[in-house]
Amino acid sequence: MVNFSMEKIKKSPYKYFALKCGIFFVIVFCLDFTIGNTLRYFYFKQQSGLEYRTTYSIEKTMAAVVVFGSSKANHHYQPNIFTRELNLSFYNAGRDGNFIFYHYAVLEGILKRYSPKIIILDFTRSEFSRDQNNYDRISALLPYYRTHKEMRNIIELKDPFEKIKLVSSIYPFNSLFLTIAAGNAQFNKTRMFDNKGYIPLMNEWLRSVATDTSSATYTIDSVTMNVYKSFIADCLRSKVSLYVICSPYFIKYAHTDSSIQLAQQIAKENGVPFLDYSENSTFIDNSKLFADPSHLNDNGAKIFSYMLADSIRKISNGKFP
Amino acid sequence: MLFDSFPFVIFFIIVTSLYFTIPYQWRWFLLLVASCYFYMAFIPIYILILGFTIVIDYFAGIYIEDATLSKRKILLVISLVANIGVLSIFKYYNFLNYNFSYILHGFDLTNPIPYLSILLPIGLSFHTFQAMSYTIEVYRGNQKAERHFGIYALYVMFYPQLVAGPIERPQNLLHQFREKHMFEVERIIDGLELMLWGLFKKLVIADRLAIYVNAVYNHPREHTGMTLILATIFFAFQIYCDFSGYTDIARGVARVMGFKLMMNFNRPYFARSISEFWKRWHISLSTWFKDYLYISLGGNRVSVPRWYLNLLIVFIISGLWHGANWTFIIWGALNGFYLVFALIAERYKLDVISQMKKYPKLNRLMQILITFVLTCFAWIFFRANNVSDAFVIVKKIFQFKGPINIENPSIMIYSIFSILFLLLVEARQEYYRGSFSFFNSQNWIIRNFSYALLIILILLFGVFDGGQFIYFQF
Repeated sequence: MVNFSMEKIKKSPYKYFALKCGIFFVIVFCLDFTIGNTLRYFYFKQQSGLEYRTTYSIEKTMAAVVVFGSSKANHHYQPNIFTRELNLSFYNAGRDGNFIFYHYAVLEGILKRYSPKIIILDFTRSEFSRDQNNYDRISALLPYYRTHKEMRNIIELKDPFEKIKLVSSIYPFNSLFLTIAAGNAQFNKTRMFDNKGYIPLMNEWLRSVATDTSSATYTIDSVTMNVYKSFIADCLRSKVSLYVICSPYFIKYAHTDSSIQLAQQIAKENGVPFLDYSENSTFIDNSKLFADPSHLNDNGAKIFSYMLADSIRKISNGKFP
Repeated sequence: MLFDSFPFVIFFIIVTSLYFTIPYQWRWFLLLVASCYFYMAFIPIYILILGFTIVIDYFAGIYIEDATLSKRKILLVISLVANIGVLSIFKYYNFLNYNFSYILHGFDLTNPIPYLSILLPIGLSFHTFQAMSYTIEVYRGNQKAERHFGIYALYVMFYPQLVAGPIERPQNLLHQFREKHMFEVERIIDGLELMLWGLFKKLVIADRLAIYVNAVYNHPREHTGMTLILATIFFAFQIYCDFSGYTDIARGVARVMGFKLMMNFNRPYFARSISEFWKRWHISLSTWFKDYLYISLGGNRVSVPRWYLNLLIVFIISGLWHGANWTFIIWGALNGFYLVFALIAERYKLDVISQMKKYPKLNRLMQILITFVLTCFAWIFFRANNVSDAFVIVKKIFQFKGPINIENPSIMIYSIFSILFLLLVEARQEYYRGSFSFFNSQNWIIRNFSYALLIILILLFGVFDGGQFIYFQF
């Protein structure tokens, strides 16, 4: 009977093709479902590494002071100093190469659980420029799409077809196979030392200060700027003291950056302090405080953290919400 | 619209479904409309440039066929000038102008000729060469002029090979637009499998390797010689998988609809000499240059010095075809020089590894390795952002110093495993063709599982966007 039916199907090429495709897609679906869910299980079981820090920021931290930002945040804000100077618990939620989309999504995850007393947002030059990489790097948030509804609007900015791609169970864990394996292994805990999210850089940049004469004009991405505005609005709504900081560079810029100007203006309109240390003389005259032109080393980070904690204390008169 | 993008998947499904639904007499029209849409997805207005050369070449073909011998030559020249003219304006104008400015600068003069701020039309070099092959073949009497304007336009614009080849010949492609292609399940599946394999090469291998290569080649002065050697080897596989992956997808798309496009790559890194490499690498372009330039220059039926000069000319122009930059010209010249050197060595019996002939397998391996190293050396010039960077890289590489920069170990591990996977698959195809194969197994369950696993590997390890990156901290 089955053979007879198969012969009939084989005679109609369209049906035969549909049958073959059907079988193939069932195999793909089964493999995708099994492997994807196994990866999901181990992803959230990680105990160390970059992804673990993201999960910790979104789902676990209860720190009173939380820092957001890219690699500059990661390497510039020393937790012990802030804890001691402000007498508040601290977590550095910065992540290399990620900008306002990532910060806003993580902020949403945090505000769903609790309101920190202080949030520090490290703002970088050209942050509002139209750059496809900023959208691509939303991929760091894909594992949270299924379980964190508050992040979906941001994740869907990545690509108009993102919703369809996320039908796959493996796709959110694309290229994370080895990272997940390492995050579940013991050796990884000591491999990359981090102190409450802060990663110190130990080398010294022994070169003279660079001068950047490149053009200051670029297209401002309104989506990025609106997400920055939402970041500020959500902090204010949750009664969080927000500080937007432009941390030091070892580069002298010939032109004022339009992103910084805009960010400063938006912050001012909302009554949010914007502190610009990008060309602060304590740092720009001392290459030994840098690990590279964009990042302070551990010594530089300590000095900068003291300086900033002191400013925050003065601005707030020692009173936090 | 890139082949590895989601919009293309949708476009492909719609066009292919319609292709097999409508009467075959109208399929050329569907393909032409689809090709126009595909081309216009980049910069719509550029369709006019393509339209201009199509009209010129269409009429040139007809008039060449009907004209007397002396007029035929004039018509061919008009057609070639139109094609090369468009190519020159869009691809080489700024390059020539820049070099002109440089020369004037030497005499303390300024160049009054302005630069053009235009984007290069996508696939211009490919479809220009394909169009030129048509008029040349009609001129040579090897091809009848195509009287159907729509079919001729489709020959130039056929969307699977419009952007990155293979550069087809009219004898192979034109007649296929008039053939009735049936809905043959096995052929369609063959095409889909070829597309999937191409997608794997592009997303899992080429784009993965590109992460490391770009990070290193964009800052060559900050890296050690060993890092640059590794990045160059990675680039050799990146460019191969990128280009051959794209060609596989193109051939697969065409195959699904019943068209047979020529093979463009034949496991080039298993070549045992530079001359063999060029018979395996970008075959459609190599044969184009051989048929229409090398032979026109006299080929090897001239004096020995002239023969060598012909080779050098062909390779320098081939370099220039790849891009308007001195780096490409040097790359082409280097390859030409390799070939000339090999011919001289053969002529004077300079066999550097003759002792190896006692051990044929070792001899073969050595020949493959030497060819690969020479190819990699030339790739430095192809990939470097400018000539000065290229020479910095060469200098640093010959110092053989320093540790290899491994900022992101997982990217490094994926890269190495993807290359090993490719070499395993290709070594089997090269040397053990008759043996068991997962992908070509007669057992449909094994074959299905193999291709399903390929999809899973793409989902697991493919690079879908710029989300993966290496942040080198120097």
